[in-house]
Amino acid sequence: MIVVYLKRLLLMLGLVALQVLVCNHIHLMGYATPMPYVVFLATFALNESRIGNMLWAFVLGLLVDMFSNTPGEAAAAMTLAAFVQWPLFHAMAPKECVEDLVPTYQSMGRWRHVRYISVLVFVHHATFYLLESFSFFHIEETLIAFASSLALSLFLILTLDSMRHGK
Amino acid sequence: MNALADWIRNWGHWIVFLLLEVTSLVLLFRFNNYQGSVWFTQANMVSGTVLDWQSRLVAYTRLGEVNRQLTETNLVLQSEVDILRHRLAEYEHDSTLTERTLAAQLAGVRRIPARVIDNSIHDRDNYITIDRGSADGIHNEMGVVCGTGIVGIVYQTGRHYAIVLPVLNSRSSISCRLKNTEYFGYMKWGGGNPLRAFIDDIPHHAKIRKGEWVETSGFSSVFPPGIFVGKVKRVLNSDDGLSYQLEIGLSTDFARLRDVAVIDWQSAIPVHAAQSADSVSSTPSAP
Repeated sequence: MIVVYLKRLLLMLGLVALQVLVCNHIHLMGYATPMPYVVFLATFALNESRIGNMLWAFVLGLLVDMFSNTPGEAAAAMTLAAFVQWPLFHAMAPKECVEDLVPTYQSMGRWRHVRYISVLVFVHHATFYLLESFSFFHIEETLIAFASSLALSLFLILTLDSMRHGK
Repeated sequence: MNALADWIRNWGHWIVFLLLEVTSLVLLFRFNNYQGSVWFTQANMVSGTVLDWQSRLVAYTRLGEVNRQLTETNLVLQSEVDILRHRLAEYEHDSTLTERTLAAQLAGVRRIPARVIDNSIHDRDNYITIDRGSADGIHNEMGVVCGTGIVGIVYQTGRHYAIVLPVLNSRSSISCRLKNTEYFGYMKWGGGNPLRAFIDDIPHHAKIRKGEWVETSGFSSVFPPGIFVGKVKRVLNSDDGLSYQLEIGLSTDFARLRDVAVIDWQSAIPVHAAQSADSVSSTPSAP
């Protein structure tokens, strides 16, 4: 169990480093900033505690916030996405599956897995940009930033996932 | 007891969810209200140190290129130095005018040199992190300048790092005036181009020339009067048509910002006021 937690902690720190040192400096067309750390939520197994998932997601969001001058935005968005993740995964997991199913292309099927990740990234990005627009009220710019970042994050996450699973 | 355990089992995730969301929102709104959420921003020790390492690493990887440029510059300078020595009198009011005038404006004001360790210019609201904090005498609401003009205002202060709210932030509003005519207004950045900002509410009867210098007005406790801001690029009509809106070409290139100085104008105000009073009282009175 400790090994599982250690691996998850390392993955979390790796994703924070990727976001802070690389992705935060990308502003494609002046708007699109990828946020691939949401993929962290897609590593939780089917039988894991919903509360535990939310706490992990909250801590990851808080770390990203600390380095990005966005206190609370990523933490709130990750917590909500983790809250949604549990029922979503239970609804989308294949009917006949193992109790500790981990979501991958192989275990869920290609398109079901893509849909699962897309919903998580959508919920996270929508919350993140909604909170950001609270203080700025530039709705058009917020929508452009949301849509372009969503597309870029999904592209990055799905590409990395395909490479990881060799497809 | 069993009923309570059942209730927690059924609703525990809702309680944790609400607690985490409330915590996040408290952080969000505290930060937006200028409160001291230093521990959750780049001004804290851990993230400040990591960004410092990153800044040094990036600077180190560019050393080869910097060295080549320096050698080239040195060669050019060596060949020009003799010629320039003889013609110094003609040139001295040209290329270094900005820096010398800035130094004169800040004479007697305490300046804390700092290095930019993190900077952004592409966001709608940009922030700059510098490697000086409260331990170096920096506190919120202090002005930040560089060799070419104003940079911004200190926004959050940690012990060894501070976050600066630069001109390139929608929340920045700096009182400026035209150097020659002294008409004043508040300068705001409209997003997009990092070399351009706008001043509103300049009256229609003001005579404004393109290329005229814009400087700080001194109507605040952050910047002394006369710090360079930029030059008038275009004169536009405001949306309501009642005044002019000036497009300003900023004198500071935020994309290349590295060395800055934090100025303590607040504590220098009494000294300057006394000096002004002295000069007024020493003026011979009319018979």
